[in-house]
Formats: sequence, structure tokens, C-alpha cells
Amino acid sequence: MTPDPVTPGPITPQAAAHRLASFEVASVPGNEREVLDRVARAVAGQLPPERLDRLKTAVAEATLNAIEHGHGSRPDLAVGVEVTRQADELVVAITDHGPARSGAGDAWPPECPEEPDLTRKLAGEQSPRGWGLFLIRHMVDAMDVVTKDGRHIVRLSMRAGGA
Amino acid sequence: MDEPAVSMGLRFVGGDAAVIDINGDVTAAAEPALTSAYEDAAKRGARRLVLNFGGLQYMNSGGIGMLVTLLVHASRHRQKLAAFGLSRHYREIFELTRLDEAITICDTEAAAVAAAS
Repeated sequence: MTPDPVTPGPITPQAAAHRLASFEVASVPGNEREVLDRVARAVAGQLPPERLDRLKTAVAEATLNAIEHGHGSRPDLAVGVEVTRQADELVVAITDHGPARSGAGDAWPPECPEEPDLTRKLAGEQSPRGWGLFLIRHMVDAMDVVTKDGRHIVRLSMRAGGA
Repeated sequence: MDEPAVSMGLRFVGGDAAVIDINGDVTAAAEPALTSAYEDAAKRGARRLVLNFGGLQYMNSGGIGMLVTLLVHASRHRQKLAAFGLSRHYREIFELTRLDEAITICDTEAAAVAAAS
């Protein structure tokens, strides 16, 4: 597949980013499965299998977060997904419009997230859930979050090809 | 996609050991199926619970949370848990979350049944 050039920004000596995929899904829990499948197809052959599995898990978690916490699982709201490659960096950007993140305490990721601890969870001191951000951070090479013009964008980066 | 894309089969493999065969997606939506299989096993006297992940298609953070809840119930009833059939990726996730310290991970069903003793 020949990648489409991304809308050009300023010309720099760096390699241009190429869009490998761009699509939306409705904010319905379970649709993260479709997203990880489509992202996997978009980056096929560019990551070794074990790193592809990691990217898929991170993509699924970030998408689920957008669906549930960004959009409150409202099917009328779409989560945007864009996959690009610039030089040897693959980036998956997952965008929600954040109407469910209305309160100051709803920022994601939280400023001081509590690290999930299995011992504390088994002792009832932490909720059994709360593994999503932890998984994302351990699965990809880098993650950053941008809030801009009412949009909340989670960018997941993986160096292509590397072990 | 509201339907849980998972099935959980229950079979006893001698004595007090029960195997829960998981096929499909382990997410929060799988909780009713897992709870039903667990309660059925407990009612029939299972003391050793073995999770067969050979048919696992996908597991997310909600599914991990569900396994933590299962561990809490099993601990309360002094039941032991082991598992087999995990792919390398999901083994890595078990290690990362330290679930492998509470659920013994094995290569085969026989080893998992023995490990849960």
C-alpha cells in the first residue's frame, strides 16, 4: 500500500510523515477490537510480532479510555484514529472530544496516577481495575497526551523494526 | 458489540480440580460468564481452579481487573489458581501486573493441575 502524505506542515530537513491509516469508530465498548485490528493492518510488516502485540494492547487501552472516559460510551460520538510513520517512528494518535471529561478531576492521565499494586488490590485497598494507563506506559516506547481545541489526543509511538 | 464475545466451559479433571476453558475475549464484559463458571465450580467442591487460556483471543485491562476479583474470591475460599495456554504476550502482561505471582503459569494442563495442589 502506498501511504498518503499527511497534510504538509513547514518544510524541514526531517523525513515527511506519511499517513498509513485514518478512520473513526463509534464510542461503543468493544469497538477497540476493530481499532486494534485496523491499526495492525496499517503497520503490517513494520514491527516484529512481539512489538506489534504490545502496540495493539496499548492502542486498545487508549481507545477504550477514549470511548468510556472521553465520550461516556455515547455511540453518537466518534473516536478518531490516525496512524502515521515519520522516518523510523510509528505513531498512533487516538482522539476524543472529551465531553465526559468535564471536571477538573477527570483529566487523563491523572497528574499523580496511583500505580496499580496487585498486593493492595488483593487486600481491598485499591480497586481491582485501573490497569489501563499502566499497560499503555509499559507497552509502547513513548506516550504523550495533548489537549487542544476541545480535543484530547493520545499519541502512542513505537520505533519501527526494532526489537 | 454489547454481546460478550466469550464462552467459559467448566470440567472437572479428577478430585477437586476444575478447569475453566476460556474461549474468546477476556474483558469486563466476560465477568458474568466467569462468575458463573467459578460459582458452579465452587458449588461442586473445587479447591483447585485451572484457567485454560488456549482459546484466548484478546484480553484488556478490564479483563485483568476481573481476574483480580476472581483471585480475591478464590483466596477467601482458600482455593488455589493456576493457568496454562497463555501466549508469550499475555505471559508478559501477567508478569508485568504480577498476576503470575498469584496464578501459577504453566505450559500444560497437567502441570497446571499439579501446580494448583
